[in-house]
Amino acid sequence: MRHEEAQEVCECLYLGLKVDGLTARNHPNVVGVGIGYKEHRSESSEDLALRFYVRQKLHRLLVPEAERIPREIEGIPTDVIEARDFSIWRPIPPIYQRRVRPAMGGLSIGHYDISAGTFGCLVADRRERYVLSNNHVLANENRGTEGDPILQPGRFDGGKVDRDVLARLVTYVALDPDGVNVVDAALAEPHQAEDVTPDVLNVGRLKGSRDPRLGEEVRKSGRTTRLTRGIVEDASATIRVGYSRGSFVFQDQMIVRASSGTFSSGGDSGSVIVGQDSKALGLLFGGSPFFTVANKVTNVEKALDVAVV
Amino acid sequence: MTSTGLPTAVLWGRTSFDDSVTDVEAVKRRHERRLLETPGVTGVGIGRRDGQDCIRIYVADDSPKVLSAIPTSVEDVPVEVVVSGPFKAR
Repeated sequence: MRHEEAQEVCECLYLGLKVDGLTARNHPNVVGVGIGYKEHRSESSEDLALRFYVRQKLHRLLVPEAERIPREIEGIPTDVIEARDFSIWRPIPPIYQRRVRPAMGGLSIGHYDISAGTFGCLVADRRERYVLSNNHVLANENRGTEGDPILQPGRFDGGKVDRDVLARLVTYVALDPDGVNVVDAALAEPHQAEDVTPDVLNVGRLKGSRDPRLGEEVRKSGRTTRLTRGIVEDASATIRVGYSRGSFVFQDQMIVRASSGTFSSGGDSGSVIVGQDSKALGLLFGGSPFFTVANKVTNVEKALDVAVV
Repeated sequence: MTSTGLPTAVLWGRTSFDDSVTDVEAVKRRHERRLLETPGVTGVGIGRRDGQDCIRIYVADDSPKVLSAIPTSVEDVPVEVVVSGPFKAR
């Protein structure tokens, strides 16, 4: 059987022409016709076959005689394959950008007036558990006020104030345009304790915190670039970082280079950078075309008087 | 100095016997503000090169104008120039 002959039969069927008493186009159960290798007990052979894609594959005796697909057409064997209905592939957003309850580290989150950032992890003081992320994610660069709604997912990912509020802004470390900053961090208190878990998506449970070491391998889980790996190239950097309100100087920062591709991108702010030992090392907040920059989690804990859960 | 010799002795002990990280850290602290004021410099940090601690100076681009203003060493600590591009909040 040559491919051209099979093609001809296939086209006839598609055009609605009767071939061996069968018109595929008006057939109630057939959704497509094609050509492939004949399957024998799920294993493909080297013989060509006409492939009839059907909504539902039924036993021959259950199909009205007029609708039965012959075993062969013009000498070409047929295969009946259940395909359900074909539809265009609508892009399904990754789980990182969807609403998830209980919410966890790595997911899209944000102050109701920003686009979207990342839920870092849970932290706690003596009384409560809080969502940790950046000031510029949860407090809109000092513009937010206590009680402001925090959406999961963030506004850019479809989060709405009337149904996706996860938490309320509690406090933030103010960004200082003139002095030296150490952290870009804020806390939000979940409305329902059971709406959050201490897990980080694709990383698991954290085991406390420590300072980063030069040259060590790290990973992060964030809203935009999801799970990525990198190397700590600098554990003691002072850098100037551009914000919507100008550029601010940050001291005692860690700098990470991607192991391959990019380590982070817009929307990953707030992600926690984690060591091989599952300890939280950094709170990601910015980057350049080649690097990612993060606050040290130990400094974040000190500034907000909390500890990683 | 009004105190006994003890705090001074401890201080001297630190600078002369501590490992090189502390030295480089101190040198970096002394010069970082000035270096950060240099046009084209985006950051100052500490890295390791050939098994030795060095000062990393991050620059927005590697144009001759930017590079010519960067010292090759600071207080005998070697300088490594790293092109980072501008840093922005994400």
